[in-house]
Amino acid sequence: MIKVENLIKTYPGEVPTLALKGVSLEIAEGEFVALMGRSGSGKSTLLHQLGLLDMPTSGSVVINKFNVLTLSDSERTRFRLQYLGYVFQEYALIAEFTALENVSFPAMAFGDDSAKERAEHLLDLVGLKDRMNHYPNEMSGGEQQRVAIARSLINNPKVLFADEPTANLDTVSSEVVFKLFQKLNKELKQTILVVTHEPEDKKYVDRVIWLKDGLIKDEE
Amino acid sequence: MNSTDLKTAFFIAYKTITKGHKSTIALIIFILSLSFFNLMFVSGFLYGFSDGVMKSMIDNSTAHIIVMPQEEPTIKPFVFDQDRVRAEIETIPGVVGTARHYQLGGTLSYDKERDGNFKYTSAQIIGVTQSEEKNILTINKYMVSGKFPDNLKDDEIVLGANLSGGFGTKQTKDLGGATVGSKIQINYSNGITRTYTIVGIFKLSMVGSVASAAFISTSEAESLLSTYNSASEIMVKVDLEKNTLDEYTNKISQMIPNLKLEKYTSRLSTVGILVTAFNLIAVIVSVISIIVSAITIFVMIYVNAVSKRRQIGILKAIGIKESIIEVSYIIQSIFYSALGIIGGLIIIYFVVIPIMAVKPITMPFGDAVLVYTSFGIIINISSLIIAGILAGYIPAKIVAREDILKSIWG
Repeated sequence: MIKVENLIKTYPGEVPTLALKGVSLEIAEGEFVALMGRSGSGKSTLLHQLGLLDMPTSGSVVINKFNVLTLSDSERTRFRLQYLGYVFQEYALIAEFTALENVSFPAMAFGDDSAKERAEHLLDLVGLKDRMNHYPNEMSGGEQQRVAIARSLINNPKVLFADEPTANLDTVSSEVVFKLFQKLNKELKQTILVVTHEPEDKKYVDRVIWLKDGLIKDEE
Repeated sequence: MNSTDLKTAFFIAYKTITKGHKSTIALIIFILSLSFFNLMFVSGFLYGFSDGVMKSMIDNSTAHIIVMPQEEPTIKPFVFDQDRVRAEIETIPGVVGTARHYQLGGTLSYDKERDGNFKYTSAQIIGVTQSEEKNILTINKYMVSGKFPDNLKDDEIVLGANLSGGFGTKQTKDLGGATVGSKIQINYSNGITRTYTIVGIFKLSMVGSVASAAFISTSEAESLLSTYNSASEIMVKVDLEKNTLDEYTNKISQMIPNLKLEKYTSRLSTVGILVTAFNLIAVIVSVISIIVSAITIFVMIYVNAVSKRRQIGILKAIGIKESIIEVSYIIQSIFYSALGIIGGLIIIYFVVIPIMAVKPITMPFGDAVLVYTSFGIIINISSLIIAGILAGYIPAKIVAREDILKSIWG
């Protein structure tokens, strides 16, 4: 599903920062993988490159047989909408949209006439059927994150990326989120790549990739 | 951009507006209403001024078209057989009426104290038949003393206050305060001297008009000029809603090809320069108002877009095209501009115009009114909408172009 070869990311500046020093990895379809490592190890940077939120300095990234680094800006945008789902650390919901609108919006932008029905189904799946007409500021952090997960799934993505999705959540909410990921992975065969720094999250995933100083240090 | 993209852009704009701070939206619309009001008021007032000046000139001095004596192949002193010429002109549909003028020049003198100390002033003297004249030129509406009788006798004269003096006029040369009933003498340029009794004094403030002229009867002018059934000028008043001035001029010139025609626009002289200047000022002020409105919208949309940077970043991250985001901001701009236009029109039509009707601003040609043509209003509205589109697009483009991660996390 994902094949990364010799991925390098340098942030320009007076002193350029080499964040990824040549990362190569493969993730199979239906796999639930965690990227772990200390702060500054490059795990979020790697996720941003794979999620097409940023452009690497060099290397190659193939997702669902597409060499995504050769795509134009508009093609990358379309690719994100069609094939990728993204869950951010800080929920990243649109404040002006209700939970239902936040979830259905990417499908609406994709031209899906059944966007609303599918969004309702997904909100039901994440346990927020009764909260679908609430705005983000009327929901708890855990609820917002579950809305974000439902949103990330609306266009049936090939890969779901999650960048420290439980960093701002309490233990109970974190567990709910990871169990939800696990359920999506097991029941829907959803490929998931999640960045986390909590060692106890290892129990939910199929594989852990450890990063250190911009390189893959270990896998378990 | 396909219909799905447009629908998505509309949805973003709709939610941003309806979930935005009501007070901020009200303030934006209020500011744009004032901007549009400014655009409408200044241009309307200046065009109203120009229009008032033109109307005053047409009604009191020039009418619409002036028919003058033949110049080619030989110069003739008068339009002869004026009865026939006017009758022909009056057959043209849309011609409201005609009147003839005899033009004379002379020096007026008046001895106010009857002590041999005369005051002199030169003036244009016009011979008119007031019963016809009042349908074309409306000097009789501006009488400040006495009247302008329909059957002005040969020894009677009507003067402009600029000639008589008094009535608040400040001329360097006038008769020093001649009043109705006073007797004045005129030495005509052909050497004839006549004495007249003043029966009326009128006051017009417009520069370049007949404010400094004197009116005598047609028969008196004919006796002075030794002519009959002639005219120095025939004034033609037309209905410009039926035909254009050029169309009337063409028709008249086909009927009487040997006579010279002049449109009022070429007779305006100083007033024409004034009108042209005011029209130019109106255009400049309108352009400045549009630029100010555009900058206002730009600043508001930019501040709005910058404050929504994170939202824009999120939209891009989930795969929404930059063009959809830009169009959503353009839609917001159009919405704000449209409400600003409606607000401005309400201020103009329901506040300012009624106030000006009750408490008019008095100008030399009469009360100032705001003049708008449908075309002018459409231009103002289109200008603000176009300015709104550009002013909405540019800041949205600037913010939407930003890197996704930078937009979301700063």
